[in-house]
Amino acid sequence: MKTLIDFDWTVMAPELTIAGMAALLSVIDLFLHPNKDRRFFMWPTLIAIGTAIGFVATQWGKPAYQILADTYRVDDFAFVFKMILLIGTALVAVISYGAFRREKGFAEGEYYYLLLVALLGGMVMTSSGDLITLFVGLELLSIATYILVGMRKRAITSNEAAWKNVVLGGVASAFILYGMSFLYGLTGSTNLFTMKERLGEALTSGYDLYAWLALFLIVFGFGFKVAVAPFHMWVPDVYQGAPTPITAFLAVISKTAAFALMLRVFLTGFLPLFQGGGGTLVDEETGGRLLLTMAGLSMILGTVIALRQQDAKRLLAYSSIAQAGVILVPMATWGPFLFPSTVYYLVGYLFTTLGAFTVLMLIEGDAGDSKLSSFAGLSRRAPLTAGAMALFLLSLAGIPVTVGFFGKFYILMNAIVTGSPEHWAMYLIAGIMLMTTVASYFYYFGIIRMMYFRPPQRREGLRVPVGAMMVIGIAFIATLGLGLMPQWILGILGNLDWGAALSPVK
Amino acid sequence: MPATSYLALGAILFCIGLYGVLTKRNAVLVLFSIELMLNAANINLVAFSKFGLYANQMGQVFTLFTITIAAAEAAVGIAILFALYRNRNTTHADEFDTMKG
Repeated sequence: MKTLIDFDWTVMAPELTIAGMAALLSVIDLFLHPNKDRRFFMWPTLIAIGTAIGFVATQWGKPAYQILADTYRVDDFAFVFKMILLIGTALVAVISYGAFRREKGFAEGEYYYLLLVALLGGMVMTSSGDLITLFVGLELLSIATYILVGMRKRAITSNEAAWKNVVLGGVASAFILYGMSFLYGLTGSTNLFTMKERLGEALTSGYDLYAWLALFLIVFGFGFKVAVAPFHMWVPDVYQGAPTPITAFLAVISKTAAFALMLRVFLTGFLPLFQGGGGTLVDEETGGRLLLTMAGLSMILGTVIALRQQDAKRLLAYSSIAQAGVILVPMATWGPFLFPSTVYYLVGYLFTTLGAFTVLMLIEGDAGDSKLSSFAGLSRRAPLTAGAMALFLLSLAGIPVTVGFFGKFYILMNAIVTGSPEHWAMYLIAGIMLMTTVASYFYYFGIIRMMYFRPPQRREGLRVPVGAMMVIGIAFIATLGLGLMPQWILGILGNLDWGAALSPVK
Repeated sequence: MPATSYLALGAILFCIGLYGVLTKRNAVLVLFSIELMLNAANINLVAFSKFGLYANQMGQVFTLFTITIAAAEAAVGIAILFALYRNRNTTHADEFDTMKG
C-alpha cells in the first residue's frame, strides 16, 4: 500500500506551479488597494507559465508515469498537449496586457488568475487516466471560461455570451456526465484502461445498447466542447461577445484541451466501440462514422455560413468551426499518422489563430467594432500588421509555404491512405476537405481584399502595443517557419512514444 | 439489472431537465433544469455503485465530485444572470438576443 509520501510529486510540478500562482495572485488581488492598476499581474502569470514550461520540458523522453491511484498520468501525449496549452496561454496573457484599460469595472486581477485556473483545468484534462479527474479538469476549464467570457460586466454582449456559454456548456457537461455514469455502470471502474477491458465484455454479454447510449451521450457533449457541427450554435455568439483575447483563448486553448480529452477517452476507454465490439444493433464502425459525419458537417456548415458574415469576429468563429472539423478528420479516419497529423495541425492552428485574433483585437480597439469594413486600407495604415494578417489568413486558408497548408496536406494524405473501395467514406471526407478549403478562399481573401484594395476610413496609423507586436511577430515566424521547415517539428512528433498514452503503466 | 427503476428515474429527470432548458423562458428555471440533468447522472452513478455489473464504491466518490462541481456551476450561472439582469432588467432568456448574423 502506497502512501501519499511515496508518490513522485515532481511529475505534477507544472500543475502545482500554476495552481500555486493562481492562489497567490488571488490573495494579492484581495490585499491590493481597489483602485490600483493590476496590469502588472501579467508578469507573475508569465513567470508561472514559464516555470511550468521548464518543468514540463524536463519530462521530455521520460517513460510514462502514473500517480494518485493511476488517476493522473504523465506521458508523451500529455507532454505535447501541455506544451501547446502553456504556450498558447502565455501568448493570450501577453496580448491582454493593457487591453482593458478603458473598460469600466473590469476586474483585471481576477482576469489573470482565472486564466491560470482555466489553463490548470486544461492541463489536468490532458494528463488524466481516470473519468473523475477528466471531468474535474473539464469543469475547471469550463467554469473559468464562463466567467472570463463575461468579464466585461457592463457590456450586454459580453453578459449574453457568458449566459449562452454557461447554459449550453452546462447542458454539454450534463450529457458527458450522464454518458460517463452508464460507462461506470457497465465497467464498475472510472479508470480508462480498466474500462477498455471490461467494455468489450459488456458488449458481448447483452449490454451493448447501454454502451452505445454512453457513446452517443459523450459524443454529444464533446461535440459541444470542441465546437463541431451540429453542436456549434453557441460558438458565434460566444466568440463575438467575449473579450477578444478570451475569444482567442476559447478558439485555441479550450479547443486543444477538448481534443486531447476526446483522443484520450475514445482511444482508450471507448476503444472497443471503435474497433470491433461484436454488438448487435450497430457495428464496430459506428463510432468512426459518427465522427466522420461530425467532421464533414462542421467543415461544410462552418465554411458556408462564414461566406455571408459581415463581422470579422463571427467570421473567424465560423472558420474555427470548419477548422475543428478538419482536426477531427484524423481521429475519424483512424489513419497511421493519427497523432502527429492532429498535433501538427493544432500547433499550426495555435499560432495562426492567435496571430489573427491579435490583429483583430487591435482593429477592434481602433475602430470600436469588429466589422469587416474596419479592416479597410489597413495595408496603408500599418503595412507590417496587414502583411502578418494576410499571412495568417493564407495559412488558415491552406495556401502553400504556410503551416496551414502542410497541416491540411498531412491530414488529407492520412485520410486518403486509409481509404479503400470498402471505406469510400474516407475519400468522401477528403473530397469535402478539398472543396471546403477552396470555398474558404472567398471569405479569407475577402479580408485581404479589404486590407489592400479599399481606401482607409482614417488617416492616422494603427497603434500597436509592444505585447501585441511581439505576439504577432512570434506567430508570423512560427506560421512561416513551420510551413517552410515542417520536418523540424514532425521529426520531434515522430519520435514521441504515442503508444504509451494507450496502455497502462505496469 | 435490478437497477432499472433507478435508471428510469434518472432518465425521466434528465429528460425533464433537457425539456426545461430548451423551452423555459425564465432564466432561473433554465439553471434549475441544468441542475436536474446533472442530478439525473448522480442518481445513475449511485444506483450503479450498488447494482452495477461490477458494483463498488467508486460511483459514490464520483457523485461527491459532481455535486461540488454542480454547485460551482450554479453559482457562476447565477452570478452571470445577475450581471445580465443589471444591464437588461429582465430574466427572460428569449430576450437575450442582441447578437445576430
